[in-house]
Order: sequence, then C-alpha cells, then structure tokens
Amino acid sequence: MNGWMGKIVRVNLSTSKIFHQKLDENIAKNFVGGRGLGVKVLYNELKPKTNPLSPENKIIFATGPVTGTKAPTSGRYCVVSKSPLTGTIFDSHSGGFWGPELKFAGYDAIIIEGRAEAPVYIWINNETVEIRDASEVWGQDTHITTEKLMKETDSNAKVACIGPAGERQVLLAAIINDKHRAAGRGGLGAVMGSKNLKAVVVRGTSRVDVADEEEFSEILDESLMVIRKNPITDKSLPTLGTAVLVNLVNEHGMYPTRNFQEGVFEDAEGISGEKITETILVGRRACYACPIACGRVTKTSEKEGEGPEYETAWAFSAQCGINDLMSVTHANYLCNELGLDTISTGNTIGCAMEMSQNGFLKEKIEFGDANKLVELVEKIALKEGIGKELAEGSKRFAEKYGCPELAMQVKGLEIPAYDPRGAQGHALAYATSNRGGCHLRAYLIGPEILGTPALVDRFKPDGKADLVVNFQNLFAALDSMILCVFTSFALNPNHYAKFLRTITGLTFTDEDLMKIGERVWNLERLFNIREGFGRRDDTLPPRFLKTPLPEGGSRGRTVFLDKMLKEYYDLRRWDSEGVPLKSKLRELGIS
Amino acid sequence: MVLIEMKVDTTITKEKLAKMIDHTLLEPSATYEKIEKLCREALTYGFFSVCVNPFHAARAAKLLNGSDVKVCCVVGFPFGATTSEVKAFETRNAVENGAQEIDMVVNIGALRSKDYELVKKDIQAVVEAARGAAVKVIIETGFLTDQEKVKACELAKESGAHFVKTSTGFGPMGALPSDVKLMRKTVGDKMGVKAAGGIRDFRDALRLIQAGANRLGTSASIPIVEGLEWMKFSKSWFIEEIPCKICPSRHASLAKQPKEVFLYYKERCKTCPDKEYNRFYEK
Repeated sequence: MNGWMGKIVRVNLSTSKIFHQKLDENIAKNFVGGRGLGVKVLYNELKPKTNPLSPENKIIFATGPVTGTKAPTSGRYCVVSKSPLTGTIFDSHSGGFWGPELKFAGYDAIIIEGRAEAPVYIWINNETVEIRDASEVWGQDTHITTEKLMKETDSNAKVACIGPAGERQVLLAAIINDKHRAAGRGGLGAVMGSKNLKAVVVRGTSRVDVADEEEFSEILDESLMVIRKNPITDKSLPTLGTAVLVNLVNEHGMYPTRNFQEGVFEDAEGISGEKITETILVGRRACYACPIACGRVTKTSEKEGEGPEYETAWAFSAQCGINDLMSVTHANYLCNELGLDTISTGNTIGCAMEMSQNGFLKEKIEFGDANKLVELVEKIALKEGIGKELAEGSKRFAEKYGCPELAMQVKGLEIPAYDPRGAQGHALAYATSNRGGCHLRAYLIGPEILGTPALVDRFKPDGKADLVVNFQNLFAALDSMILCVFTSFALNPNHYAKFLRTITGLTFTDEDLMKIGERVWNLERLFNIREGFGRRDDTLPPRFLKTPLPEGGSRGRTVFLDKMLKEYYDLRRWDSEGVPLKSKLRELGIS
Repeated sequence: MVLIEMKVDTTITKEKLAKMIDHTLLEPSATYEKIEKLCREALTYGFFSVCVNPFHAARAAKLLNGSDVKVCCVVGFPFGATTSEVKAFETRNAVENGAQEIDMVVNIGALRSKDYELVKKDIQAVVEAARGAAVKVIIETGFLTDQEKVKACELAKESGAHFVKTSTGFGPMGALPSDVKLMRKTVGDKMGVKAAGGIRDFRDALRLIQAGANRLGTSASIPIVEGLEWMKFSKSWFIEEIPCKICPSRHASLAKQPKEVFLYYKERCKTCPDKEYNRFYEK
C-alpha cells in the first residue's frame, strides 16, 4: 500500500497483549484513515451504552494516508473514542509532530483497550511495542512527563500524554503532544486516565511511500502556490496567528462576551493577535510540513510557552469578562501543563460566572476576576473545591444548580468563540455537529465572515443547510486523510482529491472525497443514535433561539434553527427524527 | 422568505475565467520578487495579463516574453490628476517598455467640473501615445454620481478608448454590479467594460460578468479561479444577499467621498424600494 503503512497495532492494557494486524484495504478505501478509520473501528467494536470511562471503552490514535508526506499540514493525528463529556462518538485532533512519527514507526493506528492495573505508558519504537511502567511520571504535568519519557526512551521520540487533569478523569481533560499541542476536546484525556495510561511515546525511522512522486510533486507545487496567494494562509495566520480573528469577529458583533450575554467585548483589542504580537510573542512555530505556521511562541515575565490561540484567548478573556492578557496567557500555559481543553475550561468558568451573577452559586465567581480564573483552572485540573464540580463541564454543572439554560453547549460540548446568532450557517453547524458544540465540523465562518471560498450573507438562513452539509462532508474527509482544515481557506476539494490520488495510487475524485466524508458523517450519526441521541439533541441553548444580541454588528439577531434543520435533514436524506433513511445508507455502503 | 438565486453563468470554466482576468499587483511596496511571482502565476493560470505600475512594466515584459500573457500598465495612477502631457509621456514610456495595454485614470477633477473638453483631450492624448495598444479609462465610480459616470463613459467612447473601467482599487468604492450595468448600457457592445476593485471571490466575479463586464482586474485572481471548483457542490453559493450589500449607497463614506457625492448616495436610500433591508450598523 502507498500512503498507508498497512498496519495497526492493538494494545490491551488489561491483558498486556499486543497484536499487530493488517489494515483492511476495504476500510482504507471507504473510510481512508484518521477520523474515518477510528469511527469505523469504534462503531464495529464498541458495545452500545458502554461507559466511556470503563475498561470496555476503546481509544484509537489514528493517522491517514497523507500523514507524514510532504503535503502541506500533513502533521496531524486524531484520537477517536466515546467521549465521557458528551456520550457521543468523538474525534479529537492535534498537530505537531506526533502523527508523522507514528507513521514513520510503521503504523496507521493504535487501538487501545482495557485498563492497566497501575499507571503505564506505551512505547512504540518502530516495530517494537511495549507497555512500560509510568509510576515515575504519574502525577507530573505534561511538560515534565514529556521530558522524562524522552529521556527514558529516545531523545527524538514524540510524546502524547495526559496531565494531572486526565489522571483524575476530569471530563475536560486533553491529550497533549509535543508539550504544547492538544487533542483538546471531548475529555479524551480522561479516557486515557481511566485506563491508567499516561502516555503514548513513539519513535519511527521509516518513510511514507508515495505512489506517484512526479504527480505528487506537481500538486504539491500547485497547492503551495495557492496557499501562498491566499491572504489568510499567507498573511493573516502566519503574521498574527489565529487570534487575528479577535478584532474581526468582535466587529461583526459575534464575539461571545460574558457567557454569550453580549456579542461585543469592549477590551477585544487587548487580547487580539496584534496585541499578542507586540507584547508577548517571541516566535512562530509550525507543525510538521506546514507552510502556514500559525503557532505562537510566547513569553510572559514568569515563563515561556505557546499560545494563546484565538479560541483560548476568547475563552479566558471575553467569555469571562477579563481584559488581562498576562492572566489569559498564564491560564493557557496552565491548561497545557495540566492537560485541559482551554475552550471547555474557559466556557465552563464563564458559565459559573453567570450563574454566580444570577445568584445560583454561594461561591462568588465574578466576571472580570482574573485571579479567580487562574485559581479555577488549577482547581478544575486537580478536582479541588468547586473545581470538582466544574470538572464535569458546563452542562452537568448548570443542571446541578437548576439553570441548564445557562450552559452554552451542544450535546454537552462547550461552544467555542463565535456567537451563532451572527452567522446562521455556523449556528446550524453547531446544532448538527456529531460531537457537540464545535466550530470545526463545518467552519461556516469561512463563507459567512471571511469570504472563503466566497462570501455569502451571514444573516440569511436560505441555502445554509446545503453549505453545512458540504462542509461537514469535506471536513470529515480532511480529518480522515488527515490535513489541517486551515488549508481549506485556500485549497478546494479537487486539490485534496489529487493529493489522495497521487499518494495512494488509487482513483479518488473530488466527488469521491465528498462521498467518503458523507459516509463517515452518517456512520457517526448511527453511532450516536445507538447511544440514544436524536433530533432533540440537534439544538442550541435557548438563548440563541430566543434572545436577540443586544448590540454591535449582529444586533437584534437570533437563530432560525427550525427552518434550517428541516432542510438539513431533507438534504441528508434523514427522516424527521434525524435517522438516516435506509436508501441513503445503502447508497453509502453502510447498511 | 423568497429564495432568490443570482443569475450567473455557472458553466464557465477555469480557463475561460482566467482569460478574462488582469492579474493585478499595484501596491506601491511591491518588490521585484513579488512582480516575478505575479508573472509566474499568470503563466501558470493563463491570465489575460498582469497589471502593474509603470516602473515594473519592463521587468514584467521580459518575464512574459514569448507567452500570450500581456503586460497591462497603469497611467496617471491612482488619482488621474497629472497633466495630459505627463500621461502621454507615461504611456509612451510604458509601451516602449513592453506594455500592451494601458489603464489610465480619467481626470476626475475636470470631469466633476464639467470640463468635458479637457477630459476628452486627456484621454485622446493617451490613446494616441499608446500607438494601438488598448486603452482602458478608469472612471473611479466612487467619486461620481450616476450622471457623471454616464458622461465619463461617453467621453471615453468618443475619445477612441477601448475600455471603460470602474475603479483603481485605491478609491472610495470597488466594482459594483449596478455600476458595471450602467457602464455597459452607456458604451454598448463594441467597447469593453472592465470591473476592478474589491473583487474577492468567484461569486463577485461571476456577478460582475453577468452585469456586463468582459474583463476583471483583481489581485485575488487565484482564489477566484480556484473557487470555481466549489460551484458544482452547491447551488447555495448563488443565493442572493440583501440588496443593500451590493448597492453603492451602502458603500458610501463621508471620510472617502466628496460631501455632495456622499449625500447623493444617501438620498437614494430614502426612496429605495428595498430600504427595509437597510441596517447600517451591521458589518
């Protein structure tokens, strides 16, 4: 096989058995890799209603056929499991260098099952796979863990690990690789923690074979030319990082402020990409094979780290009403070290602040209190005091105190930094996301705000269902190849198909690619239906449906969800309850 | 709510669209390297021309020598406020340096002063100096009322120019469909209409072509051409936005326009049949 390594390693932590198995070629053709592969394996192998934190849950680290090639942004991997935060199927992605290293070690994926009796880590050194004692690093933060495990294994090894948050099975726990990169969302760090699995360390020295080097080189040149000609991928992201969006989204009046009560943050400038650049930025960092290099290396008076990125800057500033870049950055560093998802952590703290504002909490947690923010981040990671309750995420926390409407989440996953009232398509993308409140299932901010590939009217619900379906399918395919979705600001489906074709040597058209994405999307839907999810879960917090934004560029707007949702189901060929029709499943070959 | 689809030609190919584009780089800060890159891109995509400032014309001509990508050079740019003699000299010089098309800026001040004879002579001087090279007259719509736009087009036609062009990209407004339509109606089918300024995606491009443009000037040529690949997956790209978004009145700005021109546009809003859509605080 070209592109794929053709091999999966299965590690059972309960029995300490390690199996190597061939990658099924049919699965590879139909689901490609990454997210698609993980979803297929989990759908086939996981019993319905499995407790996500039980030994019966599985966690899959997967790459795609494009991972580890020279294709731009091919340094990503994904982690697939049943999420303890949402109860849905969940894929969480990260950049850096870990993904290519797994390919170079000779594997497309690792499937991890069971639960170790004591803390362990998995050490993959090319064809040798071992389960090793992790008692030395259990309790350590992700940075120390990374350094110690590299020392213990190989100075060139790549480490994906959990911090204290994952060990304590905090439902917001992330998996951190390369110290600063996070497979952040969905609490998959807690799944690792539940298995007593501290880290997966990899070292590989082989290479990824490309079927047609000459044609691959042509599409590589072509795609780089397009990426370098696009103002977002060539100028905005490299220069100012993802936080370039802060001022733009704020000007559009959809920068969620104080737990989405407002859409304009008065101090947005203070945490913008421009401000980060002129104050704490010390360098840029690119993931493997990335020509964009949006990563920010930053330094405060206390330490050096990475970030804050756009979502993190928002989660700890506007969402919590805080205008102190240093505290925001410090909270960001803490999340990386303790192993927390910054979006869910900041969103949940913001939720607690509004609950406090409305008298639902005894403890005073006020908007604008930067010291409290930092204190709560630590408490959540360590499950101390009120942090133990916040560690369950905003949905459970708000429900517990009788105000579920104050949790800004979909299917239990905290919504990120775009108020859906300012972009109807993006709102539908949140509501229908298979993993809950996520901006990366279908980034309609592209066409609705940034004008990529073309600018459409953000306030009109017409036609948005169609665009959401298209972007969900494409992004599911990209997550399976795997390439960073940032490339989609510049590249189009035809570019992606050319990469897949020249790397694997198999016939893939752009339409095939969209079909693969659709297949993945529908299989995820079937998984969620099996777990009890349905139409009632394809919704948004009532605030977005009933309460207009009070001021700014999206003043007076709410979301027209019902109209768009019906169109969406029809286009997906799902019934009125959101169940895929048999004819659609037959067409996709997943009946 | 009635769903209205834009009437545009969705069958257009990437190659055909590329042949309608002047691939443009007019930033004063453009380096030699950027100009070289511009030319390489034009060769790869088969754009009609590269549009550059006079200083870069010779370099571009050398790089494109032997290809069918032309060199288009701006003159009197971006204000159009130099004398006719200077514009003529600039034109001769550009042609000598290899320019095959000239995009000149009309004398906007003279036009608004109704000194039509001067405007005409100004254009004629450039047409003459161009020695057969196509001349496009940039009327800079953002500084003009509709009556002035019509007059500018008539003068360009009478002076023997080959195209009228909407904007420099440095003025108060970019290319808008209503202006292109008005310009096409004024000059008829035998003259070209070039839309330029603020054309950022394939939707903009196709709409301006539909309005009557047969040439586009843009620096977003590659995203536009590549964007066509998305068309086949959804018709929703062509659902019409609210009318205000593409109306010159929406783009009017007192900071950038003469007071009377700004007021001319704003007055129109009061009697506009679509005024219900007007929410100026929305970005």
